[in-house]
Amino acid sequence: MRVYLIIVGVFFSILVLRLAYLQLLQNDKFSTLARENRIRLVTITAPRGEVFDRNGVKLVGNQPVYTVSLVNLGRQNIDGVVEKLAAILGVDPQEIQQKIDQQKRYYEPVKVASMIPLDVVTRIEEQRMELPGVEIYVEPLREYLNGNMLTHVMGYVRQINEEQLAANKDKGYKMGDPYGQTGLENTYEQYLRGEDGGRQVEVDSMARPVRDLGIKEPVPGNNLVLTIDYEVQKAAEEALARASQQAIQEGYGEARYGAAVALDVHSGQVLALASYPSYDPVKLAGVLSQKDYDEIFNSPLKPMLNRALLTYAPGSTFKMIVAMAALESGQIKAGDTIYDPGYFFHGSNFNCWRSGGHGQVDLIRALKVSCNTYFYQAGLKIGIEDIAGMARQFGLGRITGIELPGEEAGVIPNRDTKLEQNMYYLDEESQARAKEVKQRYDVLLGKTTDENERKSLLSSKSEELREINWELDWHDYDTIISSIGQGDNHYSALQLANYVATIANGGTLYQPYIVQKVVDFDGNVVKENAPVVLGQANVSPQTLAAVRQGMYEVTQPPDGTAYGIFTGLPPAAAKTGTAEVYGHEAHALFVCFAPYDNPDIAIASVLEFAGHGGTIAGPVAGDMLAAHFRLTVPGEP
Amino acid sequence: MFKQSRLLKKLDHTLLAVVALIIIFSLVIIFSATKDDIALSSNFTKQIINVAVGMVAMIVMFSINYEDLAKHMKHLYILNLILLGAVIFMGDSALGAQRWIEIGPFRFQPSEFSKLFIIICFAAFLNSRQGRLSKFRDLIPCFAFIGVPLLLVLKQPDLGTSLVFMAIMFGMLFAAGARPWLLLGLIVGSLGFVSLWIWAHFWLEANSAYHLWIPLKDYQLTRLTIFLNPWADPLDGGYHVIQSQIAIGQGGLLGRGLFHGSQTHGDFLPIQDTDFIFSVVGEELGFVGAVSLLFLFFILIYRCILIAVNARDNFGYLITTGVISMLAFHVLVNVGMATGIMPVTGIPLPLFSYGGSNMMINLAAIGLLLNINMKKQNILF
Repeated sequence: MRVYLIIVGVFFSILVLRLAYLQLLQNDKFSTLARENRIRLVTITAPRGEVFDRNGVKLVGNQPVYTVSLVNLGRQNIDGVVEKLAAILGVDPQEIQQKIDQQKRYYEPVKVASMIPLDVVTRIEEQRMELPGVEIYVEPLREYLNGNMLTHVMGYVRQINEEQLAANKDKGYKMGDPYGQTGLENTYEQYLRGEDGGRQVEVDSMARPVRDLGIKEPVPGNNLVLTIDYEVQKAAEEALARASQQAIQEGYGEARYGAAVALDVHSGQVLALASYPSYDPVKLAGVLSQKDYDEIFNSPLKPMLNRALLTYAPGSTFKMIVAMAALESGQIKAGDTIYDPGYFFHGSNFNCWRSGGHGQVDLIRALKVSCNTYFYQAGLKIGIEDIAGMARQFGLGRITGIELPGEEAGVIPNRDTKLEQNMYYLDEESQARAKEVKQRYDVLLGKTTDENERKSLLSSKSEELREINWELDWHDYDTIISSIGQGDNHYSALQLANYVATIANGGTLYQPYIVQKVVDFDGNVVKENAPVVLGQANVSPQTLAAVRQGMYEVTQPPDGTAYGIFTGLPPAAAKTGTAEVYGHEAHALFVCFAPYDNPDIAIASVLEFAGHGGTIAGPVAGDMLAAHFRLTVPGEP
Repeated sequence: MFKQSRLLKKLDHTLLAVVALIIIFSLVIIFSATKDDIALSSNFTKQIINVAVGMVAMIVMFSINYEDLAKHMKHLYILNLILLGAVIFMGDSALGAQRWIEIGPFRFQPSEFSKLFIIICFAAFLNSRQGRLSKFRDLIPCFAFIGVPLLLVLKQPDLGTSLVFMAIMFGMLFAAGARPWLLLGLIVGSLGFVSLWIWAHFWLEANSAYHLWIPLKDYQLTRLTIFLNPWADPLDGGYHVIQSQIAIGQGGLLGRGLFHGSQTHGDFLPIQDTDFIFSVVGEELGFVGAVSLLFLFFILIYRCILIAVNARDNFGYLITTGVISMLAFHVLVNVGMATGIMPVTGIPLPLFSYGGSNMMINLAAIGLLLNINMKKQNILF
């Protein structure tokens, strides 16, 4: 029996040695493994910063919503769970499976659905035991307190996509994080995003939480205080919708799009910036159904476009530029008159909008009645270079630099822009020749300072271009149509508002901006935006005064083109515009500033394909002014 | 009365105390292992009943005249075969194997009982063949005697119990006087043969289109081999082995404290009240607790060896060595499995794992050994 004892003794010794190895030598390793087994880090999503208007009215906040996530369970066959969960959520199991497959970091929970209604949450909680790995978290989600209002300025927030993730790798983003996709949400992403917190949770083998071990509170994102005035913004959006409906009723069936901008003339602060139609940013935040996707991205209405930043032919709203260029050239005095028979003949007939003509008109009256004939002649007399130069001084035809993505520069027509544009219609050989001519003369023109030499160079350049193709050269009729804001003129409502603001404030061109300051959670100012002066227009006070007077006359009886719009409001100065669009009804445009004698607000509005500017776009500006001055709707006593 | 008390004085009190300590220890651990698991939480109470039933069985086996068992060898042997056969035809399955039969409210595992039947019958069988075991030819009837029930158990399939049969057989043959080198040769030879067979099976599977037949199901094969490298399949095949080692490993010297094992209470450890109960001891009570338990088992086996040495007759001696083989093999394989040096065969830790049949036959076996021990000297009164 001693052999038995020895054998058993050897066996037991082996077991004791093995235990010593596992428990004494490898204790650290296994303790770590056990910790990895049971401790999970759950991210607490930080709420994004909130957004307020200039008077402290909250525009965008956060609301808690329930999200459902799946935690990787390793050994569990989670197929059953996916199907059960899909049934409760009412989605296709494939959809959930796809999200699981996309998850690269398997230890992170996969967010399956967001914005879960409470009754579904309850059902999941009831079936907790049969749904291992299913987690319900409360996350802050963007709450838009005024529906679709300010959507184009704010943009929308959506889960970060793979490109954005790759581009922001070092900033601590991970799959499923919210990310500002457009608008201020995008521009101010680094400020708005908070710092996620975390919770250490002890879980069991089914990933069900057993207890909290520790918590790191999230730091909410910084708040934005906008320059926007809630009242003016609201008035603009409502007025645009109403104007569109009115135009459609009046037979302008395509009048479904518009934009309006209001600026503070002494700082460039944006008081309102609206685009119509709009979209619902909430729909873009969560799981996007095909129907919603089509409604937003594939709609012919293109609601995602911020039309305040797109450029249109300005029509007669451009005439102040020509007027100022004419006065500053010294070739035309404000009191000089012409006779308007209803047309201007220069090679062919260029018509005034009023077939009988306006009779004797000086500059002030020409602005008041929007006399085309006057501006055809004035423009032709001073030439396109002066006009283009003036337009440039007022910030037209270039990006303003506002904190919003998607801004179009637009076009100030001149010799170069015409050459560039028409070159591309030519065959390759002519194109090459035209390029060569342009480059050669650019060098020569750059060297000369002598005015006469310059003129002769320009004329020989024109000749050479004409030889290649007639339409490569600038012609008088180009100047004539450009002078009334047609031709290649293209400016955004934002640029138009800013140009009118510059007229109103005495010639200081500001950069429009929309965020006053960024304030952190504790109320400390993180960033403050001050007005930025882009330039001082080289225009005499007399010229500006004359133009302002002309714009004031526009609002006056009996034949100002915007007479009647400003009843009940402080005296305003305005200009209507009706921009011909080939093959469509004209775009309706309107610019104004107020009060006339001491301006503080400048407005531009545009309604596409809506006919005449005064009747459709004008009332939009009127409503905005009324809101700005906190008055009742104009027209009502 | 007088006679009885004299007899009771001859009880092996040390053995009884060790058994009691092991059972109390086990109840504490079963309580810990099951208290947080809804599906298992009634097992603690059930196990107390199991212990009570087992004590009845122990007293019965203690009270009978064990020499009479030899006379009924044939009946017991046949009864055993019937029970094992019944499992195959009317058994209830669990974890891919049929092991239980139900009679009224009782569920029991004939394969557990058959261990004791086999020990008793084989002891009687060998007793009748004393001195005729020196040649290989002499061993063949022994193999056949064990082989028939073994095949029935394997058919369930219950690989673990059939291995226990082998351990019992070799242990008893050795005690009965078979040539040690021959037995050792057979053990090493058969282990080598089986290993080679399994290795060839896997090798051919991986490197050729041939399929080498093997009398094991896939999951059994995985369990047998995964302990060699559990990390090859940490979430499925190797899960049990890894989680058990994590539990034991993180226990350290003194353990994480009773009721505080995260592996146990977080349900990471599988079947923590039966096959992997030793891991709970390792996790919650550490090296000190685990070695203490092993020490109790060693004392248990040591006391059994003393009983074998002092047994009055050869039959009692053989029964005792059978029980020793069974207990030692169970402890070695169960603890070896939990610590990752033995294949996963699903053998319970005797007197410790949750389970009625196991508790009952182990206590019955202890009762039988106490019986044998008490008659070690002629009672003169």
